[in-house]
Amino acid sequence: MIWPGHRLALSLFAGVLLAWVAVMTFLMHRSALPPEATGTMLAVFEPGVQENQAMATIVAAGANVVRQSSFDFIWVVTSDEPGLAGRLHDNGALGAYRELPISPTIAGCFAVADAKVAAAFQ
Amino acid sequence: MTITQKSTPWYFLPATIIVAGCMVSIINFGVRSTFGQFTLPISEAHHWPRETYSFAMALQNLLWGIGTPFAGALADRYGSARVLMVGAVIYALGVVSMNYADAPILLHLGGGLVAGLGIALSSFGIVMAALGRIVPPEKRSWAFGMATASGSLGQFVFSPIVAAMITAYDWHTAIYMLAASCLVIVPLAAPLLVQNTKTSTKVVGETDLSMSEAITKAFGHTSYLLLVSGFFVCGFHLAFITVHLPPYLAEHGMTKEFAGFAMALIGLFNVVGSYTSGIIGGRGEKRVPLSLIYVMRAAAIAAFILLPITQTSTLFFTATMGLLWLSTVPLTMGLITVMFGTRYMGTLYGFVFLSHQIGSFLGVWLGGKFYDMFGSYNPVWWMSVGLGIFAAIVHLPIRERRAASFAAA
Repeated sequence: MIWPGHRLALSLFAGVLLAWVAVMTFLMHRSALPPEATGTMLAVFEPGVQENQAMATIVAAGANVVRQSSFDFIWVVTSDEPGLAGRLHDNGALGAYRELPISPTIAGCFAVADAKVAAAFQ
Repeated sequence: MTITQKSTPWYFLPATIIVAGCMVSIINFGVRSTFGQFTLPISEAHHWPRETYSFAMALQNLLWGIGTPFAGALADRYGSARVLMVGAVIYALGVVSMNYADAPILLHLGGGLVAGLGIALSSFGIVMAALGRIVPPEKRSWAFGMATASGSLGQFVFSPIVAAMITAYDWHTAIYMLAASCLVIVPLAAPLLVQNTKTSTKVVGETDLSMSEAITKAFGHTSYLLLVSGFFVCGFHLAFITVHLPPYLAEHGMTKEFAGFAMALIGLFNVVGSYTSGIIGGRGEKRVPLSLIYVMRAAAIAAFILLPITQTSTLFFTATMGLLWLSTVPLTMGLITVMFGTRYMGTLYGFVFLSHQIGSFLGVWLGGKFYDMFGSYNPVWWMSVGLGIFAAIVHLPIRERRAASFAAA
């Protein structure tokens, strides 16, 4: 009988991580905010966006920065005026998501994946 | 154990058995690692002080520790698969009861005692007891490494999923999802029934001692006592760092987000460390690498607190500790099988694990107690260094051969 080795381990761990990415992307999709939403939220931009470009969009949308994540394309922003999510999108953000109780950096990466998947099916 | 290729159905194939066992580890460890995320929602929903939920989780950890030797004994007597299946149902009932607990006592009984018992009965120790008997000796350490690495991976993947699920849906839905995940262990444990089928033959070279004799003789074996005392240190380190590193980092000006990232790094590197340790354990002596792990832990902790605490030093520390985190498990389990064989490995690992949990309790408790006394975590950091050196020393005299009283009749 031939017992499996490292290839099985790699396949199992890679498979679990792929399933994890798929589930997280789905959950981020469920966390996407409608245009009329306001309050504190995760604003996600195209990866590679310049910090001043992202800031300009946030300001144009009438939002204040709560904090920046480890990446320039993921910001936690807030506003009291209704429709913040829609304004962020209209000004160039990929999307706006509920602030998850996990690292905004990690949540933002899954949000980008969700936005890309959504864009591919539009 | 004799399994012939021709008559082996797919669900008893080696790859299926290993993958199923690892999936059980992923779920058991993964679900358990998410309970902290329900502290606020459950406390706020019922207007309970945080102590109510914390006490339930403390009971859960206590039952997990105390229940593991008994779960191991049941696995050694009736087979791991059956214990895992019953444990999964108990685990699921304990978890789902948290949705219906409208009084503290119900939460303590369900989320605390019942869930804790379920964790013990479906834990990776029980999986490893099965794998230890099923896989050939030359692959045993690798299989232990895979099961341990899978548990680590479970912690890494379940935590953000549950966090996102609580936000995307609500905490009730997240609890139902966790309970359903526990039930998935039932079919996943089925391939491990190969250990109990009529086609399985008694493993040659195993002891004929009764269980009570085996436990008595193991505790009279110096090397086993050294192993038990060494694993206490493992629990102390892990629990102290898990609970007290984030506030320590906050004291040094690190953000909550960075602390979370640093802790996640432990989980990721733990997968690599556990797997690698399994491979190393399969190539030769286990006591020396085990001793080295504790030396490296002591060195990493000393370097971390002696050097200026920066983001770089923190990431280096958490990555290093991640590599050394559960890498002790495959080697410890391997030493048990070398000294006592596989017949009572579930029970004997259970007692070693109980020592780990006592260490965990003291690591968490003394971390807080000494911080309050001295206004600093430094005394417990240095205690961790000292314990690391102690563990490195006690593993070296372990005799890495079959105990005389456990020799086959």
